[in-house]
Amino acid sequence: MSDFLKQAAGKMVDRRDFLNAAAVGAVGLAFTSHMGNGLALADMVSAEQTEAEDTNSSVDIAVSDKGEWIPAACWFNCGSQCANYALVVDGEVVRQKTDDTHEDSPDYPQQRGCIRGRSQRKNVFGADRLKYPMKRKHWEPGGGDKSLRGRDEWVRISWDEAFDILSSEIKRVVEKYGNRSILSFGGPCNAINSYGGAVSHYGSTSYGSWQVTPFLMGYMPYSYPVFDRPGYIQWAASYTSRDTINDRLDLRNCETIIMISLNTAWNSAGTNNYHWAQAKKTGAKFIAVDPYYNDLAQAMDADWLPVRPGTDMALLLGVAYTLITEDDPENNPLIDWDFLDRCTLGFDADHMPEGVNPEENFKDYVLGTYDGIPKTPEWASEICGLEPERIRYLAQEMRVDKKVAIVCGWASARTQNSDNLPQMIATIGAMTGHMGKSGHMTGPSHSYFTANGGLSLVNPGSAGLPTISNPVDDAIHLGEVWNAILTHKYNFCGKSLYLPREERDIDIEMIYFYKYMNKLQTAEDMNSGIEAVRQVEFVVTQDYTLSTSAMFSDLVLPTTTEWETIGGFPRNSFPNREVVIAYRNVVPPLFEAKTDQEIDIELCKRLGVDVDSVYPFGPKQQFFNELKSCTVIQDNGVDYGPLITITEEDIESWGVEGTPQEGKISLEEFLKTGYYQVKRSPGDNYGYIAFEAFRNDPEAHPLPSSASGKIEIYSTGLAERINAAGWSEIKPLPTYVPPKNGYECTFENWETKEKGAYPYQIINPHYLRRAHSGFDNVLQLREAFPNPVYLNASDAREKGIEDGDTVLIENMNGKTLRRAVVTERLMPGIVSLPHGSWVDPDPETGIDRGGADNILTSALLQGQGVEAFNSNIVTFEKYAGEPLLPDVERPQRIAVVEGDDE
Amino acid sequence: MGTLGFYFDQTICTGCRACQVACKDKNNLEIGVLFRNVRTFEVGVFPQTKAYHYSGTCNHCANPACVPVCPVGAMFVAEDGTVQHDDELCIGCLSCIQACPYSVPQYIESLGIVQKCDSCKQLRDNGWNPACVDACPMRALEFGDLDELRAKHGDDVVSELPILPSAGMTEPSLLISCKACAELPDFREKQV
Repeated sequence: MSDFLKQAAGKMVDRRDFLNAAAVGAVGLAFTSHMGNGLALADMVSAEQTEAEDTNSSVDIAVSDKGEWIPAACWFNCGSQCANYALVVDGEVVRQKTDDTHEDSPDYPQQRGCIRGRSQRKNVFGADRLKYPMKRKHWEPGGGDKSLRGRDEWVRISWDEAFDILSSEIKRVVEKYGNRSILSFGGPCNAINSYGGAVSHYGSTSYGSWQVTPFLMGYMPYSYPVFDRPGYIQWAASYTSRDTINDRLDLRNCETIIMISLNTAWNSAGTNNYHWAQAKKTGAKFIAVDPYYNDLAQAMDADWLPVRPGTDMALLLGVAYTLITEDDPENNPLIDWDFLDRCTLGFDADHMPEGVNPEENFKDYVLGTYDGIPKTPEWASEICGLEPERIRYLAQEMRVDKKVAIVCGWASARTQNSDNLPQMIATIGAMTGHMGKSGHMTGPSHSYFTANGGLSLVNPGSAGLPTISNPVDDAIHLGEVWNAILTHKYNFCGKSLYLPREERDIDIEMIYFYKYMNKLQTAEDMNSGIEAVRQVEFVVTQDYTLSTSAMFSDLVLPTTTEWETIGGFPRNSFPNREVVIAYRNVVPPLFEAKTDQEIDIELCKRLGVDVDSVYPFGPKQQFFNELKSCTVIQDNGVDYGPLITITEEDIESWGVEGTPQEGKISLEEFLKTGYYQVKRSPGDNYGYIAFEAFRNDPEAHPLPSSASGKIEIYSTGLAERINAAGWSEIKPLPTYVPPKNGYECTFENWETKEKGAYPYQIINPHYLRRAHSGFDNVLQLREAFPNPVYLNASDAREKGIEDGDTVLIENMNGKTLRRAVVTERLMPGIVSLPHGSWVDPDPETGIDRGGADNILTSALLQGQGVEAFNSNIVTFEKYAGEPLLPDVERPQRIAVVEGDDE
Repeated sequence: MGTLGFYFDQTICTGCRACQVACKDKNNLEIGVLFRNVRTFEVGVFPQTKAYHYSGTCNHCANPACVPVCPVGAMFVAEDGTVQHDDELCIGCLSCIQACPYSVPQYIESLGIVQKCDSCKQLRDNGWNPACVDACPMRALEFGDLDELRAKHGDDVVSELPILPSAGMTEPSLLISCKACAELPDFREKQV
């Protein structure tokens, strides 16, 4: 066997013979060896071989009826939740598929997944899997030469040594500097929380200003503990997409669907896009407002209204001006005056809150009554780039007497000074009356709740573990976390956030990056991040590949993927509204990987923490608890009950504690597919019309998310909260504030229109090759989506750049390289660089060859602290140095480990 | 049974490439080899730009160019009318690659032979759809009897586009509900 494997590793045998003889690929060998003889035989199969190995192997097996289809996790936070299955034959995963658990129809659709989910086996069994614990070769207690982080060699160590290093460094740092010197990025950090805690983080991430604004000015229909419960805010913004838009069957009633910075074809690429298609089939007209003619717009054949990044406020003010000045209730009804009167506050002087100067109302701001600047389409056009007549056209399309959905992504709110943009979108929806009725809706509609609003009809359960609270109250905003490390100061806004801020001293000396928290890659201003990470005394990462955070660490702990755990429900995702998806174990842990919980438990032991108080029961009981506590909507469409029937026999055969219960599906049946979908049909009890009760009777059903209970077009509560905590002052009503690093900043002189040093705006769209930074090492995804930089054709022509040319993109924060796609689908003056590509610093030039977006983003906070990934400015040129190969031909990032080949 | 072939609804395709990757997964294809390939095109000049995708694979032509040129009979028309390939007979001479106007047959370097889409014949024989069909989140792909597909999707389906060779060359078993912009002549292929 051993000789045979050596041969295979050296590619000495014919591939088909090898596979026929072995009947398992390198992957299968990997875990059989781990389980079996201790010597990791698969290690002899080189990384390159592992990749090549998967090809043309077991097609016959894959289409036979052998093996078992196992519900296999797709665990990323892409914005979809899809069914994913792995065919396991003789211990080897030979194929994947998506949902075929039931007949497919538009009303009752299969939950089909995207290329990312379909590539999970390349991810799980990738050549880049971390096999062993490893440390930086020149690491010493306290760090040693810290500048070597990211450049040092790796040395394989035992788990015992890894835990020795980890626990002794934690103890040393706590003893010397205190728990406030440990910065923890996510994860099951129960050991550290039980050992005095660590500094945590927060940020607006993908949500932009939707994270805070709608919860203060009344554009959310329920009550949410956003400012009361630590950590809740990181989840709550997803509910903006769940709660403001009607359900998918009602979407078919729309005549017009206006999409603002929305491209679910890339970020939520699963079946939810099929819901948009149903609206298209029933005759809805689509309009897309976006700097890029994106693929959702393309597929819906949308009328494209190109608008510069960070200027949606100006555009919508121009729309509001048109609505106000062109509305004629008799002959050209545009505005829903009744709704404005009953349900909103601050629209005009007659509807202002008490104690406020009535001249500050929205209508007079739009008309320029007091500031002398009417926000005409001409005024808006100079800023947003859309012709005035097209702005008027957009306003006319929103008219009150049509059934209209105004749906947006969060992208336009990931810009500087966008604090009032969600308020403006709600204002436009309120002015035109597109909320609270069938066929009418306004709000975000993407990510997990794409084209399908409403509370989840079926919910995953809870493992029932105790919550270990973190005794340290420090929480640093991601937009200033690197600066906090470098300057030893940060703005504390309360652990539950957005309380009046105070400047605090801080001395971070240890960083713990948990799996899925690759913040060195995904937070803005990566070069400062690298500098900061090289400053502290100890950096540890646990992950299954060499993430960017891992690359710059002293100690790296190899964890399992979700395919190697006992099973569960994706923790990084929200449930799909109508479907709950669970996964089971697909393969045993690869190489020496441990689960995150196993690592946490061992760390508890090393730190003297009572394990039983943190993990009173094991993974099996946890999984059982999750299954048992799943809930599903009852036929009345109101109440929820248990999803899964559990019998005494189930409890006995699992060997767990619990009581029997009656649900809608047996445990055995549910685990077979890991899938339960609520069957929907038009007219059923499961529909959702957002804000319906409020619209019908705002006095009886006030909105809990504003002080007045109304939609606050003028919101004192919004301004006061943000201005107390904020990084700059905002107004209580939507106004246009030119963004830092926005369009205006591309000019040296705005009046003469003389361009400045960074004459282009850059955006970082979520890209289908990845879920944030996840999957970037998977070659078949690199092949499918090559991750170019998109340049407008006329901009590129001026610089002599053609498709495939290597382009240097740079600004005050850094330099990065990408191959060009020269396109007419992007507005002039805009550069589009997909989000999440792994950094690849060239040691000679310092230039990133990986096209990492955050090399260029500024860590610059305004207002509520929006991480402004979509308002940055750059310049670019054809690169004179060594051209880039396509990503699929560039080497994967794979840890080279001393001691790996023993 | 009539002629079997693929139907592609271009009017709803988002270009997500789920079909391409599902095909790659099911056939265990190495990097650089695609049996189904999604390509992206744009027409027009900003701001009147339009775009479309084309998901293409073997068209299992009624008059396949690849079959008569194969010197060893490896490329053949199966009993169900689809164009199949016998890996055991193939000598890797590339004749079929040169003959196919759609660039469908792929040389598999590691095997030294050519392979291509077999319309997932084994899956179909076992009652399944081709992997690409069942993968599409937009339900833009179907496989079946062309007469039935034509009846289902209307008479305006086409078998050729400006980006494709003339259907007269090989009589592809292919039906497309095409976007209006895909009928324009001045297209440009672009990566995504």
